[in-house]
Amino acid sequence: MNRTLKKLFSNAASLTGIILLVFFIIIAIFAPVIAPPFSDDPYQIPRMSWDVHPQPPGFPMSDNIREIYDYMGTEIKYDKAICGTAEGGYDIFYGLIWGTRTAFKIGIITVSLSMLIGILIGSISAYFGKWVDEILMRLTDIFLSFPFLVAAMVLTTVLGRGLDKVMIALIVFGWMGYARVIRGSILSAKEETYVMAAKALGVKDAKIIWKHLLPNTIFPVLIQGSMNIGSMVITAAALSFLGVGAPVGYADWGQMVSFARNWIIGAPGNAGQYWYTVFYPGIFIVLFVLAWNLIGDTLRDILDPRLRGEL
Amino acid sequence: MINNRKPLLEVKDLKTYFFTEDGVVKAVDGVDFEVYQGETLGIVGESACGKSVTAFSIMKLLDYPGKTVGGEVIFKGENLLEKTEDEMRRIRGKEIAMIFQEPMTALNPVLTVGFQISEALMIHFKISKEEAMKKSVELLKKVGIPIPEQRVNEYPHQLSGGMRQRAMIAMAMSCDPSLLIADEPTTALDVTIQAQILDLMRSLLKDFNGSLIMITHDLGVIAEIADRIAVMYAGKVVEHADKKTIFHNPLHPYTFGLLTSIPRLDLELKRLDTIPGIVPDPLHFPVGCKFNPRCRFATDRCKEEEPCLVKVEEGHLVRCWNIESVIKEVKKGLLVGV
Amino acid sequence: MLSYIIRRLLLLPVILFGVTFLIFCVFSLLSPMERLATYVHDPATLKNPQSVERLINKYHLDDPFPLGYINWLKRIVRLDLGWSQTANQPVWDAICQRFPATLELVLYSIVPVVLVGIWLGIISAVHHNDMLDQTIRVTAIVGWSLPTFIFGLLVLFIFYGILGWLPPGRLSSWAQDIVYTGNNFHNYTRLITLDALLNGNIPIFLDALRHLIAPIITLSYISWAFLLRITRSSMLDTLRKDYVKTARSKGVDEHTVIHLHAKRNAMIPVMTVAGMMIIGMLGGVMITETVFTYPGLGFWAATAAQQLDYGSVISFALLFATIMVVGNLVVDISYALIDPRVRLE
Repeated sequence: MNRTLKKLFSNAASLTGIILLVFFIIIAIFAPVIAPPFSDDPYQIPRMSWDVHPQPPGFPMSDNIREIYDYMGTEIKYDKAICGTAEGGYDIFYGLIWGTRTAFKIGIITVSLSMLIGILIGSISAYFGKWVDEILMRLTDIFLSFPFLVAAMVLTTVLGRGLDKVMIALIVFGWMGYARVIRGSILSAKEETYVMAAKALGVKDAKIIWKHLLPNTIFPVLIQGSMNIGSMVITAAALSFLGVGAPVGYADWGQMVSFARNWIIGAPGNAGQYWYTVFYPGIFIVLFVLAWNLIGDTLRDILDPRLRGEL
Repeated sequence: MINNRKPLLEVKDLKTYFFTEDGVVKAVDGVDFEVYQGETLGIVGESACGKSVTAFSIMKLLDYPGKTVGGEVIFKGENLLEKTEDEMRRIRGKEIAMIFQEPMTALNPVLTVGFQISEALMIHFKISKEEAMKKSVELLKKVGIPIPEQRVNEYPHQLSGGMRQRAMIAMAMSCDPSLLIADEPTTALDVTIQAQILDLMRSLLKDFNGSLIMITHDLGVIAEIADRIAVMYAGKVVEHADKKTIFHNPLHPYTFGLLTSIPRLDLELKRLDTIPGIVPDPLHFPVGCKFNPRCRFATDRCKEEEPCLVKVEEGHLVRCWNIESVIKEVKKGLLVGV
Repeated sequence: MLSYIIRRLLLLPVILFGVTFLIFCVFSLLSPMERLATYVHDPATLKNPQSVERLINKYHLDDPFPLGYINWLKRIVRLDLGWSQTANQPVWDAICQRFPATLELVLYSIVPVVLVGIWLGIISAVHHNDMLDQTIRVTAIVGWSLPTFIFGLLVLFIFYGILGWLPPGRLSSWAQDIVYTGNNFHNYTRLITLDALLNGNIPIFLDALRHLIAPIITLSYISWAFLLRITRSSMLDTLRKDYVKTARSKGVDEHTVIHLHAKRNAMIPVMTVAGMMIIGMLGGVMITETVFTYPGLGFWAATAAQQLDYGSVISFALLFATIMVVGNLVVDISYALIDPRVRLE
């Protein structure tokens, strides 16, 4: 374990990943300080203007918005859009900061829950074998027949907009990979002598799975899970981009990019006028996912004994 | 050099190290032996003593992170370690060939047996595919595989273990190499098949006066087939002599230990003599003679100074400070009838 | 092998049943009124309680679950998929009309994905750990981290917004006039590049190609990064095998060792993944087509999802799931053909 950690820190790629990750963790933890929320729901992005057109970085809060906030008794914590505003006047900076929390939420929750389901199904399937295995594996095949994005999109359309619906969709169609991996490992481990010894001693099935098989087979699944955090966040962002994810004004990076398509070309003669609508949320998404992928890729290389230069 | 014959292969102080992330593993750290035309050299030793690495070093087929860092490998008068990769390619398969331990993994599962045998022929003799295939059929027949015309178009997984090994032998011998290196060829086989394979190898070699290096940990195999023997321990050759000398007058404590630990049917022994201890960790070799922690004859000198390989008599090399102690033990008659 | 193929073929209807059943379950999450809306053209009908009741009976929307499923399935098989609000035509017609555009895009994308991905993966493995390998790997990881929509927007921004070379959409308006009205232009396959060549019309061919380049790059980028990583890993694995050493010990030259002995074995697992991936690219089609407003199935589905056009969305899922199931079968069977160990069982 220590060896693995040491290697992770010494490799340039994974070190970069770790630094990036730490950066994001700090932002997520200190979000209320860096970007104080205007209302009870911190994930609601405050607006700096009513204007449909995005405003450039440094844009000060427009007067009519200020009046409205004063009228509603909302405390105005800050009044400049450091990174500009998205379509409809939503402050990009705020969205970036709180979007970090959203990203972690999405990544960790969806991966943990889908991993749980996957491990459950995969281990039961592998351990009991025969027709249990057959049925569960056909079930897995059925779920796998849907391209991930398509399935998630259908489910979110039917369930409605909202981050929780997105997460449900990602979990419902995200467990199959883990199920297969753990099934494979357990199928081979099942034949090992220590399992047969436990059975011969009369140990109950559930206990065998829990105490003997899982600890020995769970590591690759955990690795896979950590690497999937990035792709879950991307898929959630993609759904928001398509307009079926988080609702408008919610602090989610993908949601902020969704309107950008219309503005990316800029006004005639001034291409890239609205670069910040895509650049800021985009760079956050990319760096976040890159961090997980760099760490995960190096982790995979470390744990692959063939590539360690062994005899 | 014995009796003024020049050896076919002469390995002098060969050193091959593996530069791993955990440290330098000195897999081969001083290996010396000679192989003569028409003779079989048996290299014997426990697992991980560097036998296979020696073979790969000779063929220059080392995998990363291994590197040969010293010594000479003189084959037909030329040092192989100085040759370029191109020159080695012309030697491999044609002058020196190799057989591996596990025929299922050593044969390519997606290529036919016939193709794999023909390949060396096509490369080294520039003959056509049809001609090479014909020769392959002949070779398969020669190694005792029935219905060779059919087998030649089959895939490795369609053959049994013993047949696969025979096919590998056919492949290795296809170009009539002067030297064949066999790395534990019988270890993965049943005892009865083992005997057949050994017989096969012996007769093939006799046919064209080829030389064989037989690498194994099995003294029984060595006794059957070897003319000269090199005993390896922890990356070094500790004793090198002809078969009779090794079995009747060993001088190294390790050799002695190996011989006395063989179970005997003709003697009434209450217990089997074993060599105490285990093979040392290649990353943490003991100081001085590598064998000293397990050696019953070890003296203080052994714990500090590493002995060098010394010619005790014509054709007999030993690496030990205490040969006299071993001679005394031998005289006690424990090696009767070996 | 025969038993293997038969088994897979027998599983096909089972899986298709499962897939349709799953979709039906999702469909049933909607209220009967919402489900009804997927079948009617004119929203006004929904306001009339009598017609609503008649229609609910007609479409068995009130029936118990199993019966509802059977009836729904019967309609599906007859290709009665409802009405698409967003396309303003029956769903099946909408699908047929947009299918060729997506097909053209995907077919062109397969080439860079497979060729470049596998080729670079092999190079990367052979040059294991030196500069070339590291560069390729880092590029792949970055590619893997760039979400398709961000990458697409970037491409759109640079190559259209700034340079003006690669416009969005499928054809420029002058070309659209010719192709869609059939004026001096026969639509043989509805694949515009192919049709243009068959008609001998080079300007249209070039125009169509120009519109395809950016979506192709976008669609294939993530896929080839993934394929590259898989190929590299499989190749590294294979190069360590004993039979590679055997080949070298025979004096085989390095090029043959890599491309004959190693590659054939390494490609077996890669082929299965590649097959899966190509089919999976269908999912990425939604985003790519949306970014470039390319009038294919994906753009239609995304628009439908936004506008809560349930009928279209459900049918789209059904279509792609079916393609994936059949595609999987093809991949599995071809795997059996490639690997002699399976073939000759």
